[in-house]
Amino acid sequence: MTESTFFAAALAVYAAAAFFYLLFLFNGKERSAKTGFAVAVAGFVLHTGALILRTVESGHAPFTNMYESLSFLAWASVLAFVLVTLRFRMHRVGPYLLLIVIGLMALASSPLMPKEATPLVPALQSYWLWLHVSVTLLGEAFFAIAFVTSLMYLKARDPEKKERLDAVSYRAISVGFPLFTLGGLVFGMVWAQKAWGTYWSWDPKEVWSLITWFVFALYLHTRIVMGWKGRRSAFIAVLGFLAALFTFFGVNYLLAGLHSYA
Amino acid sequence: MRSLIRFFSSLRLAIVLIILLAAASVLGTLIPQGRTLEEYAVRYGGAAGILVKSGLTGLYHAAGFLALLILLGLNIAVCTLTRLPGKLRRAFRPRLETEAKALAGFKIHDRLKRSAPLAEVRERLETAMREAGWRVRSESRENRVHILARKRTAGLFGSDIVHLGLLVLLAGGIVTAAAGFRTELALSEGLTLDVPKAGFALRLDKFDTEYHPDGSVKAWKSSVTVLEAERPVRQAVIAVNHPLTHRGYSFYQMSYGDDWDATRVTLAVRKKDDPAPARPIILHPGRRLALGDAAGSEIELKRFLPDFVLGEGNRPENRSYRPDNPAALVEIRGGGETAFEGWVFANYPGFAQAHGREASGWEVGIKAFDAPRFSVLEAAKDPGVPLIWIGCLLGMAGLFLAFYWPAREIRAGLEEANGRTDIGLGGTAAKGRDRLQAEFTALVESLRRPT
Repeated sequence: MTESTFFAAALAVYAAAAFFYLLFLFNGKERSAKTGFAVAVAGFVLHTGALILRTVESGHAPFTNMYESLSFLAWASVLAFVLVTLRFRMHRVGPYLLLIVIGLMALASSPLMPKEATPLVPALQSYWLWLHVSVTLLGEAFFAIAFVTSLMYLKARDPEKKERLDAVSYRAISVGFPLFTLGGLVFGMVWAQKAWGTYWSWDPKEVWSLITWFVFALYLHTRIVMGWKGRRSAFIAVLGFLAALFTFFGVNYLLAGLHSYA
Repeated sequence: MRSLIRFFSSLRLAIVLIILLAAASVLGTLIPQGRTLEEYAVRYGGAAGILVKSGLTGLYHAAGFLALLILLGLNIAVCTLTRLPGKLRRAFRPRLETEAKALAGFKIHDRLKRSAPLAEVRERLETAMREAGWRVRSESRENRVHILARKRTAGLFGSDIVHLGLLVLLAGGIVTAAAGFRTELALSEGLTLDVPKAGFALRLDKFDTEYHPDGSVKAWKSSVTVLEAERPVRQAVIAVNHPLTHRGYSFYQMSYGDDWDATRVTLAVRKKDDPAPARPIILHPGRRLALGDAAGSEIELKRFLPDFVLGEGNRPENRSYRPDNPAALVEIRGGGETAFEGWVFANYPGFAQAHGREASGWEVGIKAFDAPRFSVLEAAKDPGVPLIWIGCLLGMAGLFLAFYWPAREIRAGLEEANGRTDIGLGGTAAKGRDRLQAEFTALVESLRRPT
């Protein structure tokens, strides 16, 4: 069994989980959602297997090129989803988040993404690779949850449901924000100082991390100090995740810089 | 002065500044930063000059951008300082007194009566609170007992600590900009260079490139010796991700290359009518050597190019610094006149691009060439770095306190009437109200239980 087998199996199982969740959206039966959740957890186990095999095969962290990073972001998003579901029992988040996960994994398996595990270039040979990338992507996974719940908020009509979606968005951001700050900015600065001799060089990826951070700082300040909630907060959360996605993805393909790995 | 403080303490200002900073940052990633005027001319044509003059090509170091950062710093400082006294009072000298009406207005509140004297109920409530891990303060005033029970009071200061961290971070950035020093040292193997202003020198002993089995680069390693007053004091290997730090200076592996101007070229030289095999001659560019023949000929290696190409006006020039088409310009003079002059190629031994002396009696080829490696190290001294790490630590500690250590308090007012004690309770929490609700309910339950 190779990594790609596990990856494909995980993708198929996630698709099955999404199917049960979609069924739940139509029939409203708690049972469909519970089945969806159990299937998603099974997919998560397979996906974890794929990441472990990748690490063993390549001998380095499973997020050193775009294929690996997309797969890891998808995995982190499922992890965040599992945690949020266990805590808040928001089954309706399931189908939408799984669609994002499937999208990320489909993108990862597109022929445009080189999949072979290549040896690490000298700049990436550091334990900071593990700390910096995994914590950052885990933070972004929680932003993905907030993105989904915020979009659902903007669409929802039932005030009680809206209230809960708003609360879950805020909780997801209050987990994602410290993680993103620690992994993306702090660990990033420590590693940059060690590898490049400067903690900050206004590289496009650094700048976009900062922009993402600014957006979520705005979310928190308007909410905590000015009492914004609901619609306006949801807009900022959506914008924040789009900025995070651009930091992760857009910068590599549209802007050139030091961070030309993944 | 007061209106200035009001201006800087407003959150609206912070929001405007953050939006402006974010917008400027976006702009700075759309326009490539810090390139040459020529590069901008290629990209933007006639607008390049205006663009460079406007500061948009060095946006993050432009006065306007720095002004925004400094304004944000002032804003954070004033905002935090104006809120701090109130918070300190709440933390260290809190008002214990709470009106019964105020208690009923708390998001979490309850009211009950016990048929026991006030002192007994007070004792029981305070004990129950202490056992549940609350820090309790109480006072009795005009027949009413006021109790304040709190947990995680430090959480009140989470945001202030984050803000302090950001200010330290900004200060670190200013120190870096003002007092940071960085320079590149290009060292050939065997060469010693004084580190500017440092009072010590660095010698490159050896530069190695290690490869993975697939041929990609695994590591660049510079073996160096630190010399103080010309005496070696320390040896180290500098590699990417493994800098050397000595007396406040750090050295990073940045780049490397071959010093082609100092290439050691081995030429094979033969006189065409001489049956003896070609002699190897070892030369460096610019050097000449007597060939030791009867005519007293001399050979000179005039130039060496690792990647020969004919450029503008058919002038030989270098296409790259990789040895893709190594060529040597060689001249042989004998008896006062040039006997051979021309380019010889390592990859095309039969071909000599000779200049007018095709019919010369000499045959010259490149047998081997070997350029000394040089390593480019970045030397940096940045007194701002410790401040940056302190700022990061404070920032993370503050975020942790703000999000995961929320302050909670329960207030109680006890009054005795006709041998019964009336108890009002109210609870507040910045975050994690579910948790407080559970604790609150447990406390009320313990009061309801008969003794």
